[in-house]
Amino acid sequence: MTFRVDRRQFLMGSTALLAAAGIARPTFAQAEALRLYWWGGQTRADRTIAVADLWAKAKNATVPTGEFGSFPDHWPKLATMVAGGNAPDVYQMDYRFIAEYANRKATQPLDEFVASGVLKLDDFDKDQIEGGRVNGELHGISLGANSVAAIYSQTAFDEVGIAAPKLGWSYEEVPEFAEAFLSKNIRGGMKFMSDGSSSEPALDNWIRQRGKPLYTPEGKLGPNADDITEWFAMWKGFLDKGYIPSAEDSALDVDTPETSMIATNKAAIIFSNSNQLVVHQSVNKDKLGMVNYPRISPSTGGGHYRKPSMFWSMAATSGQKELAADFISFFINDLEAGKILQVERGIPCAAAVRDVVAPLLDEQNQVSLNFVSSLGDLLGPLPASPPNAAGEIDQSLLDVLADEVAFGARTPEDAGKFFVEEATAILERAKSA
Amino acid sequence: MTARAVEASAPVGRETGTSFWSRAWQNHAPGYLFLLPWFIGFFGLTIGPILTSFYLSFTDFDLLTSPDWVGADNYIRMFTNDRNFAASMRVTLVFVVFSVPMKLAFALCIAMLLNRGMRGLPVYRALFYLPSLLGASVAIAILWRTIFARDGLVNDFLSIFGIAGPSWISNPRTSLWTLIILSVWQFGSPMIIFLAGLRQIPADMYEAASLDGASKWRQFWKITLPLLTPVVFFNAIIQTIEAFKSFTPAFIISSGQGGPINSTLFYTLYLYNEAFAFFRMGYASALAWFLLLLIACFTAFSFLTSRFWVHYDD
Repeated sequence: MTFRVDRRQFLMGSTALLAAAGIARPTFAQAEALRLYWWGGQTRADRTIAVADLWAKAKNATVPTGEFGSFPDHWPKLATMVAGGNAPDVYQMDYRFIAEYANRKATQPLDEFVASGVLKLDDFDKDQIEGGRVNGELHGISLGANSVAAIYSQTAFDEVGIAAPKLGWSYEEVPEFAEAFLSKNIRGGMKFMSDGSSSEPALDNWIRQRGKPLYTPEGKLGPNADDITEWFAMWKGFLDKGYIPSAEDSALDVDTPETSMIATNKAAIIFSNSNQLVVHQSVNKDKLGMVNYPRISPSTGGGHYRKPSMFWSMAATSGQKELAADFISFFINDLEAGKILQVERGIPCAAAVRDVVAPLLDEQNQVSLNFVSSLGDLLGPLPASPPNAAGEIDQSLLDVLADEVAFGARTPEDAGKFFVEEATAILERAKSA
Repeated sequence: MTARAVEASAPVGRETGTSFWSRAWQNHAPGYLFLLPWFIGFFGLTIGPILTSFYLSFTDFDLLTSPDWVGADNYIRMFTNDRNFAASMRVTLVFVVFSVPMKLAFALCIAMLLNRGMRGLPVYRALFYLPSLLGASVAIAILWRTIFARDGLVNDFLSIFGIAGPSWISNPRTSLWTLIILSVWQFGSPMIIFLAGLRQIPADMYEAASLDGASKWRQFWKITLPLLTPVVFFNAIIQTIEAFKSFTPAFIISSGQGGPINSTLFYTLYLYNEAFAFFRMGYASALAWFLLLLIACFTAFSFLTSRFWVHYDD
């Protein structure tokens, strides 16, 4: 056999291969398909893709390509794409992470597109625009307003034979409700309420009622050790009296609708968000309802706030920023798009869209639409977006300490002191990075 | 033959003094060409990222902005100022120390049971291998919950004897053990290797031993185990490395959190969170390199001590 390749032929061959690869690239770049990326389930994907098609048809543009995944998977993948320099043109952003991305200049400030009229925010809720600002620049366009909300099983309360908590209820009423659950002992020991001690939104809500933010606008910790100690002590008290599920049962809840304390028949009320009523209803046979996070006492308020549930942000590296801005504008303003999207991402922020959508909703979605506006004095101003390390404090500190207190490995006093020390150190480290 | 043809047709190469290399090239070029895809993959996707991560371990890379050099800060922090590093190291060491010997012992027991020339052996072998194929999936996470929760299978069994067990999987004192049991349950691959090793032991040795009146027990300790030590050694090394790298069981079952109270915070899980949840890619790279060093030291130690207990048949 006399198959031979000399160096020159080899080099020529491989150069040709590389050249072919090189030529292939620009053709990809020329196809003007916007890349979209979001988290959420199939319903959201269907609606988002339908709107993308609608936009492409209206603007005679190439149909955008879309990718989506679950919320936990969204962040590693997005961060990797941004780091690799191939971020999607338009991606879904969360209030928790927007400062992190904006401060690292990964997202494009959108003010210039608002000024040039490509991105229309004329009848857009002012507080929702503010929610997308970081350091005065607009980095995200809210796709829906929502608020934290306690979701309860109406069926469970019917079984116990008492009325569910009314709007405006407080922590002072917990013993009365909980004793009723204890004496009736339904569904193998279902408790009144889930353990909220590890829930950052619940802590945030409670701290705000005490007149402090969880994080100050300067990115410092709001509460002191006494505040946190009192928080843990309150929950430890509920736990010892059997008002909330045992530490072992609570640890089985891994933040998915299927493992929620309602879904597993461990507690009749859980700490959640107003736009998630629909998700929870879809995995529960019980009829669900929605009420405020408890007041500290019947007179305190201001713990709730209208928050952007999620944003569209634009990649700073996008090659088609005008087009991307036009897409975002269409997504939030077009009436037909609004009819498709409805309240799946939260309450639409453009007044005209809201008016078109409202009559289309079923009873439960009407509850979602009206929940935030029904809160009254429970509602306070939107706090500053949380600092970079807020996610880490939630996951590696609050969750762990709440477990330690519940399992008896640490006293509330100790946990309060430890929380403030560690959280301060974590914030300090994130700032210096 | 090829070489000669080339020499004849390309005498120029010889005059310029590159004869050795050009001949070597001409002899093997097609081979290298065929290997090219693998080379590209190896250098581009394996060696490149490994070296990059070594560089990144000395930086504060956060995935989104360009890395800044911070010297050995990441490594210093690991040992001086990181409680979670110590906690995750403890969890991982407990897991390695208990899961590996238990898994090997279990695999050997099953292999010996299967090595008695029974009928339908391939079926049993496949059945016992099945758990290893399931790996760590969401289905396994749900299965493990149903077995080890408060109202799970284990407690149903215990209640026969009047014992009210805790919720094993969500109690910080026992949760790691449910993961150790999961690892032991997936004993398929060492079992297959043990089975192959057992087949290699000549039957006449056992015949001779039983003629001399040695009990089954004695035969196991004097014949089976010594002759099997090379296989035990191989399995021990592979399984230990696997155990150090174990990630998915804890990730799936505790949903990435390592809870309750960090009791299942495996080293790799901690590393993953540092990298992708908290955006500290530089620090995570340092953690990864320390793990590599640890595994390398452990493996080297195993090889050094192996001559005292591994008997190679020669």
